[in-house]
Amino acid sequence: MTARTDIDGATVEVVQSYLTAAANEMRATLIRTAFNPVIYEVLDFGISIYDAAMDLIAEAPGLTFFLGANDYSVRKVMAHVGSENVEPGDIILSNYPYWNAAHTYDATLLAPVFDPSDGRLFAYMCIRAHWMDLGAKDPGYVLDSTDMHQEGVVFPGTKVFRRGQANDEIIDLIRFNSRMPDLVIGDLNAQVAALRTGERRLHEIVAKFTRPRLDAAIASIMDHGERTTAAALANLPQGSWTASDIIDDDGISDEPVAMQVTVTIQDGVFEVDFAGSAAATRGPVNMPFGSTLAMCKVVFKSLTSPDRPSNAGQTRALKVKAEPGTLFHAVYPAPTFTLWTGIVGLELIHKALAKAMPDRMAASSGGDVPGFMMIGTHPDTGQMFAISNNDPVGWGATPCHDGASALIHLSESIVRNTPLEVLETKTTMLIERAELRPDSGGAGQYRGGLGLHRDIRFLTDGEFLTVMKKTKSPPWALEGGRETDPNTVILFPGTERERRVSTKRTAVAAGDRITLLTAGGGGYGDPAKRDRRRVREDVAEGYISVDAARTVYGVSSDDG
Amino acid sequence: MAADQDLRMAVDIGGTFVDAVELDMMTGAFRLAKAPTTPGEPWRGVTDAIAKLATDLARLEVFIHGTTLGLNAVLERRGAVTGIIINDGFRDIFMIGRGNVPDDHMYDFQYEPPEPLVKRRRIAGVGCRLDYKGRELVPLDETGVRAAARHLVEEQGVEAIAICFLFSFRDPAHEQRAAEIIRAQYPEVKVSISSDIAREHREYERTSTTVLDAYIRPIFERYIDRLSGALDDGGFAGRFLVMRSGGGAMTTAAAKASPTQTVLSGPAGGIIGAAFMADLLDRRDLISFDVGGTSLDVCLIENAQPVTAHEAELEHYPLLIPTYDIRTIGAGGGSIAWTDEGLLKVGPQSAGAEPGPICYGRGGDRPTVTDAALILGYVDPDRFLEGQMTLDVAAARSGIERWIGAELGMDVEAAAAGIYDVLLARTVGAVRQVTVERGRDPATFSLLAFGGAGPLLAPLVARDMGIREVIVPIVPSGFSAWGMLGADIVNDYARTDLRLLDEVSADDLESLFAAMEADASASLADQGIGADNAATERQLELRYMGQEHALTVAVGGAIDRAALRRAFEELHEARYGHAMEAPVQILNVRVRGLGIGRSPTVAIREPAGGGPERALLNERPAYCFARRTMTPFAVYDRARLAPDDRIDGPAMVDEGTSVTVIQSDQRLEVNRYGHLLVTSTEGA
Repeated sequence: MTARTDIDGATVEVVQSYLTAAANEMRATLIRTAFNPVIYEVLDFGISIYDAAMDLIAEAPGLTFFLGANDYSVRKVMAHVGSENVEPGDIILSNYPYWNAAHTYDATLLAPVFDPSDGRLFAYMCIRAHWMDLGAKDPGYVLDSTDMHQEGVVFPGTKVFRRGQANDEIIDLIRFNSRMPDLVIGDLNAQVAALRTGERRLHEIVAKFTRPRLDAAIASIMDHGERTTAAALANLPQGSWTASDIIDDDGISDEPVAMQVTVTIQDGVFEVDFAGSAAATRGPVNMPFGSTLAMCKVVFKSLTSPDRPSNAGQTRALKVKAEPGTLFHAVYPAPTFTLWTGIVGLELIHKALAKAMPDRMAASSGGDVPGFMMIGTHPDTGQMFAISNNDPVGWGATPCHDGASALIHLSESIVRNTPLEVLETKTTMLIERAELRPDSGGAGQYRGGLGLHRDIRFLTDGEFLTVMKKTKSPPWALEGGRETDPNTVILFPGTERERRVSTKRTAVAAGDRITLLTAGGGGYGDPAKRDRRRVREDVAEGYISVDAARTVYGVSSDDG
Repeated sequence: MAADQDLRMAVDIGGTFVDAVELDMMTGAFRLAKAPTTPGEPWRGVTDAIAKLATDLARLEVFIHGTTLGLNAVLERRGAVTGIIINDGFRDIFMIGRGNVPDDHMYDFQYEPPEPLVKRRRIAGVGCRLDYKGRELVPLDETGVRAAARHLVEEQGVEAIAICFLFSFRDPAHEQRAAEIIRAQYPEVKVSISSDIAREHREYERTSTTVLDAYIRPIFERYIDRLSGALDDGGFAGRFLVMRSGGGAMTTAAAKASPTQTVLSGPAGGIIGAAFMADLLDRRDLISFDVGGTSLDVCLIENAQPVTAHEAELEHYPLLIPTYDIRTIGAGGGSIAWTDEGLLKVGPQSAGAEPGPICYGRGGDRPTVTDAALILGYVDPDRFLEGQMTLDVAAARSGIERWIGAELGMDVEAAAAGIYDVLLARTVGAVRQVTVERGRDPATFSLLAFGGAGPLLAPLVARDMGIREVIVPIVPSGFSAWGMLGADIVNDYARTDLRLLDEVSADDLESLFAAMEADASASLADQGIGADNAATERQLELRYMGQEHALTVAVGGAIDRAALRRAFEELHEARYGHAMEAPVQILNVRVRGLGIGRSPTVAIREPAGGGPERALLNERPAYCFARRTMTPFAVYDRARLAPDDRIDGPAMVDEGTSVTVIQSDQRLEVNRYGHLLVTSTEGA
């Protein structure tokens, strides 16, 4: 097979390397200068570069949902601002959920890049990062908002820099609307520094290759993305499959919220349709449509081009449908703060695909990124803190190996948890236990990975937020494997106040305890088919109990 | 130095060859010998290489050894059967780590982690707990320690135990007591404790470092003892030093006590050599550029000091050790070129030495960077490796035609040049990444090229990035071993602090530094360093409260907190473009103990007169990247070049083990040490 005739495959690869390097240099600058641990430790950001047509040409490793959201947001925000209204050195801020494809605390900075030789706009750069506070009704996360206006100050697409000069009035507005102004302004500066790095590099790239060759190479990159994706798509089974699950509750009532998806692979198109899902909810579990698109892109990419650098060509065959006003297509003023529905939704799409190709898909993981946050006042400093952590879950067993134990959910698997020694230093939590849970992985010929058991004792009064979904429906298994117990939050265990919750803000007092049990992954295949040697290994490692070996796998300890 | 100990020797084990170099400290004369690496019995390759030099070992003042034995033990999972003792309730800190998958698996939803270094059955919790200030919440359960040790040693057969307790960097007493109990109970078991290995915060990173230490220690000790014995049998009576990953060397006794310090020392000799060159040539800012058969290592030298990091990674396991901040890309002479649906890719797969490039004729059938170099005329097929091996040009040509040219519709020269273009783009990306992280412009650096393939690639990198000068040292393929000859003895000490700079009194800091310096001085004395040659350096890692990354500030004689803050802010401004009002926090307090050795002697050469024509070998066609076509290149013999010789490109300087390629828009000059300096003719 031969490439396009106007530019050779070596030059295209060279241009791709330069563009990817530019994105990575932006990332290095952001990590180095960020103020906020959620950016520098947890890598809660997404960095993307677009051509003049706002098609993705390069991205840096980051949060997959953030990367996909950038693709949507750059178009919506520029449609608002107008590409005729931007000048060199401008930086535009957006956190308007329905355009920015995220909740209000994920702030996107967007900058146009102009070719210095002729003054024409030829690229856009986008950096999305989680900001710690923008003045929502509650500190930390908002778990029970009923409209967008309770979720913080909103910037639709607002120039924070004009022609390279900071717009101090806007920056003041941010500062005066945040409970943690230093962190937020520090992160704004870090994002700006990263954009400046990217702009310099893109200027060098356009000068080096010249605009016509750069354009030809970019066209070839897109074309490559489209062709390789089409080939991968042709290798998938053709047909239509439906799956359903629930979101535990909307943060206000305890009623489960229905989710349904139908995936259709046909005629070179991969369609994801959310018909059958609930109407938009009163509480903030709704997803802006851009977030839904981003979620679908992640699944699609993992199936068709997991090891190739990303570009817009790779997602042209993806079509996503969700009626406006529904759970997966929130419209103003629907609340969206806890839009982590997308984490559960990602595996719902897998569940539909598993019906199409059980020999290629894994069983469900623990199903969520179980997070928690403590808000309080640190006795050493007298300062307010709001520190969060993401816990790992077990991953689902696959058709050829056991699921991994205690990993961050697949939707953001390169994100890292917060070290205990950092958590205990910055907050007033004492972690009394953090260990794998034996028998929490779904049994099967291949076993699901194990979840985590965490016990926390509070040393001072404060507020504790659990952000735990998938507490009511168990992680699903495949081909005769076993399901597992869902995620569990136990408030005040062993006291008369003991109760189980999901996503909840809870007042805690010194001496209170909370237990978090994250789910293991579902099993794959009949447990009776599991290699007996592996069952005995699992017992020796403490992954399963002697009892489970006997009752579930039929292997007794003295059984040779 | 005894009168008859006038030689130094360094031995560096690489993936395919062991390099041994001998330096005459009187004359600066320098010899290199190579022997094949012997992975099964690594000491044998070392003694083979030494035998080839035929040096009288009794004349050695110092024997310096760079070994990646520890690294290989981890890569090949050949280390000790290791157990972990940790706080009760936290048995899985090592298994869970930070919960993340490697970046290059971000879209792999069926990720399967590699087999861990320590099985879960060999991890035991015991009762004890400190809080974040180091206050005891639960006393050490000594009975529990004994029971855990009995389980690990008697039932699980462990040879080494790593002990890591939460917040032990605040107070190591529990760890020390647990180790004492286990050592008394099982004297044959090696015990590593985290507060000795890495007295820094973050429990997983500290545990991982301690586990790696325990894992490699027994194998490392056996190796060093064996090699020492072999040297002694040869009459060696000098000092035996082992290279460290983050600067300098240490005595074998120190190395056996802290083998993790050696695991990433493979490229360290070249960096020390680069820092030495930065001083010698007054090129204070250098990029060290080391290209071998399978990888390319880049490190910055700023103001004649290599950039260091305090954390590294080995097989995805974090290591809290000082290291040179080296970036490696998996691209070297053996990297395989391939196509992905019309795009040309190079690496990361490598043909290595076996089967090797197509042109080696050892069964390799996929085109590599070396095959491309041959097609482009950079390698003389009859003079390769000083004529020890003849290369098959026709096979290389048909391989590149078949796998690359036909796929991409390019003729064979264009395809071979394309392979270099792609390799170059990745290389330039890596060099830029290193400089942007320091907030520096690469154009202000010189490029020091070494390793077999460095002198070929570096002039191309310089053209692309606007770097003004490439320096090619004497015997570039042995430069890494040569660099080791200049290593000082170094010990590093660190303690995590986390107090605000404003809330710590100068006296407090002074006494903390003094205590750490006492440790450093005692260790230097133990290693036989006299007070005259011993020095200590103080550093603080500072950051704005809330930041993760810290900057390292050198601390002078008297402690002046305002001056420290100013120094930090200046550094922050330089690195990140802004400084802030926020309070400044001390992350780590660091002390480095230095046993300063003699610098290696460098010979100054005499100009030869008559011009470079005396060294002209022939002329042959090669690919010129400035003209983008095959062009006649004059080929010179390096051995016959002399100071003040000047050659305009296109030209090549061949020295058997490597070739320096000067493009048509570049020129070469030989300096008084015999180094080759390649510069651009544009704007000159």
